[in-house]
Amino acid sequence: MGFDVSYFLEIIPILLGYLGLTMKMASLGLVIALTLATAMAIVRVFKVPVLDWIVQVVISFFRGTPLLVQLFLLYYGLPQVFPVLVGIDAFTAAVIGLSLHFSAYMAETIRAAILGIDRSQMEAALSIGQSPAMAMRRIILPQAARIALPSLMNQFIDMIKSTSLAFTLGVVELMATAQMEASSSFRFFESFLAVALIYWVVVVLFTQLQLYLEAKLSKAYQR
Amino acid sequence: MKKFFKQVVLAVALVSASAASIAEETVRVGMSGSYFPFTFKKQDVLQGFEVDLWKEIGKRNGYNVEFVTSNFSGLFGLLESGRIDTISNQITMTEARKAKYLFSAPYVIDGAQVVTRKGSDIKGPQDLSGKVVAVNLGSNYESLLRGLPNSDQIKIKTYDTGIEQELMLGRIDAFVMDRISSAQLIKEHRLPFAHAGEIFEKIENAWPLLNNAQGKALKAELDSTLEAMRKDGTLAAISNKWFDTDITAQ
Repeated sequence: MGFDVSYFLEIIPILLGYLGLTMKMASLGLVIALTLATAMAIVRVFKVPVLDWIVQVVISFFRGTPLLVQLFLLYYGLPQVFPVLVGIDAFTAAVIGLSLHFSAYMAETIRAAILGIDRSQMEAALSIGQSPAMAMRRIILPQAARIALPSLMNQFIDMIKSTSLAFTLGVVELMATAQMEASSSFRFFESFLAVALIYWVVVVLFTQLQLYLEAKLSKAYQR
Repeated sequence: MKKFFKQVVLAVALVSASAASIAEETVRVGMSGSYFPFTFKKQDVLQGFEVDLWKEIGKRNGYNVEFVTSNFSGLFGLLESGRIDTISNQITMTEARKAKYLFSAPYVIDGAQVVTRKGSDIKGPQDLSGKVVAVNLGSNYESLLRGLPNSDQIKIKTYDTGIEQELMLGRIDAFVMDRISSAQLIKEHRLPFAHAGEIFEKIENAWPLLNNAQGKALKAELDSTLEAMRKDGTLAAISNKWFDTDITAQ
């Protein structure tokens, strides 16, 4: 059984039909994860009583257990204890799982970026009468975003690839399609190579976006 | 006026169509979509023996059959959490499963088959001592293997997908699959594999259902439909279409 070029070319458009769903999962996941992560990072930076402790436990749990375990817990485990949760469909569960998992990593990235901004920036903002919240929004976070960007993109790339676990919940995405097509054709190498290339191309495109954003964010620092 | 009339007709048509679909009972059937030729995708179309069976059952009972594909390891979770009504993926009626789930009448009678590469010295389950034998994750072949007299000498490996590939590459010495699908697999794709010995455990495959009022009602309907399909030859015809043999014969 050599490499079947025509099968390889034939399967690519079929797989591409599912790329939209994969990207929808990843991008929804990114928006939710970034929001959660920023909130958690701010709680950690300001050491908000009680909340800080809760956030630490949340981050520890979602970084400390495998994503697949979290997805199973969320989709198959919790509904046994809380029957209302059966109403969550597989796609939503996958997005929630991905968001929670990656928000834990992103929170630490953002926290580190915030702490990396010199104290004097905050002091200067306060001295001209800005509130701590306003100083955070207008002075600290924009600078921290530039520092956090490469790491955040790392985590987003990881999230794109992690959507391939969603078939265990019944979401028929890119990887699921490759697996199911291969099961009837027995062209494993062709199917999996095709799916690998699609993920790779997508990640390369996002890497380009990262370079563009990095250049844009560092404009103020160029002499 | 003409436009108004058109809109009324359209509205009536829409309302009656949605009323009809409400009357239709939806049955959600879970399957892996990766178990050739029972359930698989080709050119993005879900098909196979199980799919044909359910299309026929749906037609006879007026069900709206909804196929839900998931990795095999997720199927029982889907059933357990009420997201599907049954699993149609050659689920074997084991004692443990029977204790927990309601089962329809068996629709496939089969056996566990050792599959090796052609020319292998493995001639049956008794020769598996010291060999690496693969089974699919979540399948019951592992416990069947553990029930063999020489089970403590067999190295069992579980896989999520692609055991055929592993045998082809020589990373495993044999795998255990049901006789029917392994025969089909070897034939269709001219794989250099052979059956080693007789089947070592008779297995009956059926549709598991949740043990509640809804499950019981569905079981009654499935059993009578299955009986009718058996009597009028439809069941055998669907089997012959995919296997050239009647795997549903009791």
